[in-house]
Amino acid sequence: MSLLSLENLIKTFDSPAGKIHAVRDVSLEVTQGECLAIVGESGSGKTTLANMILGILAQTSGNVLFNDTVLSPKRTPDQRRHIQLVQQNPLSSLNPKRSVGASVRLGLDTYGIGARADRWQIVEQALEAVGLPANMRKRAPAALSGGQRQRVGIARALACEPELLVLDEPTSALDVLVQARVLRLLNELRASRGLTYVFITHDLAVVRNIADRVAVFQSGRLVESGTTEQIFTQPQAEYTRKLIGAVPVVDPDEMALRDKLAESS
Amino acid sequence: MIRAIRILAANPLSLVGVILVALVVFAAIFAPWIAPFPTHNGAVVDFAFANKPPSARNWMGTDLVGRDLFSRILYAYQISLVLGVVVLAIAAPVGTIFGLLAGYLGGWAEAILMRIVDVFLSIPPLVLAIAMMGVLEPTLTNAMLAVTVMWWPWYARLVYAIARSEREEGYVLAAEVIGAGTAHIAFREILPNCLPAIITKMTLDMGFVIIIASSLSFLGLGVQPPTPDLGSMVAEGARYLPDSWWLTVFPGLAILIAVFGFNLMGDGLREVLGVDE
Amino acid sequence: MSALLSISDLHLGFKGLSGINNVLHGISLNIAQGERVALVGESGSGKSVTARIVLGLLQETRSARISGAVKFDGNDISAMNPKARAALRGTDMSMIFQDPTSSLNPAFTIGRQFTEVLRRRDPSMGADACQERATKMLGEVSILDPNRVLNAYAFQLSGGMNQRVMIAMALANRPKLLLADEPGTALDVSVQAQTLTLMRNLVADHGTAVLFISHNLGVVREFADRVYVIYRGNIVEDGPTQALFSDPRHAYTRALMSAVPRITGAGLPEVPEVSEDFFAPQISHGGVA
Repeated sequence: MSLLSLENLIKTFDSPAGKIHAVRDVSLEVTQGECLAIVGESGSGKTTLANMILGILAQTSGNVLFNDTVLSPKRTPDQRRHIQLVQQNPLSSLNPKRSVGASVRLGLDTYGIGARADRWQIVEQALEAVGLPANMRKRAPAALSGGQRQRVGIARALACEPELLVLDEPTSALDVLVQARVLRLLNELRASRGLTYVFITHDLAVVRNIADRVAVFQSGRLVESGTTEQIFTQPQAEYTRKLIGAVPVVDPDEMALRDKLAESS
Repeated sequence: MIRAIRILAANPLSLVGVILVALVVFAAIFAPWIAPFPTHNGAVVDFAFANKPPSARNWMGTDLVGRDLFSRILYAYQISLVLGVVVLAIAAPVGTIFGLLAGYLGGWAEAILMRIVDVFLSIPPLVLAIAMMGVLEPTLTNAMLAVTVMWWPWYARLVYAIARSEREEGYVLAAEVIGAGTAHIAFREILPNCLPAIITKMTLDMGFVIIIASSLSFLGLGVQPPTPDLGSMVAEGARYLPDSWWLTVFPGLAILIAVFGFNLMGDGLREVLGVDE
Repeated sequence: MSALLSISDLHLGFKGLSGINNVLHGISLNIAQGERVALVGESGSGKSVTARIVLGLLQETRSARISGAVKFDGNDISAMNPKARAALRGTDMSMIFQDPTSSLNPAFTIGRQFTEVLRRRDPSMGADACQERATKMLGEVSILDPNRVLNAYAFQLSGGMNQRVMIAMALANRPKLLLADEPGTALDVSVQAQTLTLMRNLVADHGTAVLFISHNLGVVREFADRVYVIYRGNIVEDGPTQALFSDPRHAYTRALMSAVPRITGAGLPEVPEVSEDFFAPQISHGGVA
């Protein structure tokens, strides 16, 4: 059953140089419990698409359906609560002047989750669920490493008890070792909480290991979509092959795969 | 806090500022006890000691009607500080609200609010104050009102610029995705990030407000005699230069110390609070 | 062949409010003439400050405490006066940074900036000669319409185009050493791959040595002849690229390698926590010139 459906989504911006077609007639289904990767380079429209899913940007035309209900851009708190975001940049996503706990608590206060007296406890549980010590809630973001901040960002989103997480390049600002740990955490959380992910990234090696399905975007168009296996073994679109061919790799096996794809194009 | 003290200690000039400001505030608060002639803040006349140069009895000399200049300067600090605090206590919040809403909301709110600010900014400040004082009675309250009216738009501009750039930060997006209200985002999320700059500006502005208020009374538009005011004291004494030099030099120095102190302290605060202009 | 750049026992600390904060704990590194060497590590490992010391920039920072020798072309960079160090930059030593678009000055045309670069080497170079040399260099980085690019401003060009311009400028004065600090990280993957290949071929043709600073193991593997792995201010492993990648021996290098997701899809790796082994002594595969 599809949790999220995008029907003929179009987003056009006006600019002095004329109309910019950021998203051109995109239709997509995201099934309950899956991880759908949205892959594209700059200008592919992937961030615009995410903003429309989150309801912070109104589409020019088309529909966003969640649990078979059409969401208007002006969403009710309950509709908002079920779709949450994890951002790319852990430096800017937390307010430097507020404690980590206050940032995580915002969703609880906004949606009235838990009794007021219990909320700090819920915040601490949310921090522990992402592998951070409970006493970190009193710290300022500046005292945290990039990886810890990103975990706080995940805790903040999860505290709202969402069904769908939009992950916008959640690990691309992190170091390799930290990235690997955060990716594992995301995978575990998805399994244990039955979450659904829309994973936006340009990093195909990450996609290969975390996504169930992949949608490839170029200049606002959906150029190809399929299961992760299909996309990486039999990519149909020229653009997909080019993207896979550009991935910097470390293993001979990977090079062989890349070369094979390059030959078939 | 420890970090703040370290930075200040590594920065002798701002330490000088803190000490000067502390002296000024101390003098103002304890004027009735420190002043050798506490009654001289009013309409006292003592012609036996009129227009005397500095001596053991009167460290800074006496004015034309025989009042102790040192005592009057201490009392004048009271007036200056009250004026500065009141002006900034009104101007800063008003300007901040304008700037925050314009900067965060953008669109129509921004257009309307910032055009109002522009109108005020387009009138030369001293001219505006002089015009107002011409219409109103020249009293302390009206002087404060006039200075406040010309001061708040600068806070609106400052906060607007910060809020506009903070609006693009990820934490604002995060709050919007969660669905927090405009008031929460503007006042709880963005405002704390504007505070260091606002506080720094307020400190720097204390000095400037004192100068402007002194300028107004120098022109005879501010605080009226017999209430002691540094600006009117300088104005009065200027007519008797160079013979009775103490009449202008000491009030002038008093202004200098206060303005200098607040400025140095403001610069130090800017470093402690990590504000970049 | 003798070393073009030789760093030995380099220590760096920053004097802060709470004492000295040590960043480099005695690293040694050599680059031969025309050799492509990568320094790979995570953020905060000390790789970028190393580049700034080689460029002679950190020596001018008052809070920096530097010891050890940095020899470039036989001369100790730390012992030079600031003027001599500045004279090296942009002539015998040049650099490419992360974001090409912000590295170029938005107020001047590419052509004007190119002329400035060329005149650092030869102040008497005439306008025509500059134009000719710039056109030739842009041709070498596969820019097909050099005249349009020379008359354009950086913001009118794409990121990939600016990156090519940066490469052309960096190599225009035939430097002996090129420092590339995370080049092209700000660019799209496909553009980054193209420009890296281009840069690799070009430095090979010119015989330019490169110190390539990166956090990306895949990129390093494709670019460098030899690799140094740096962790918290210590070099933990070094060797020819092939040897190091096929047989990583240091615990930290192994952890780093295992953490890279593979496009063949081996699943998300289990990453070891930071252990004492990460601080084990340096392992060298040899191959130093």
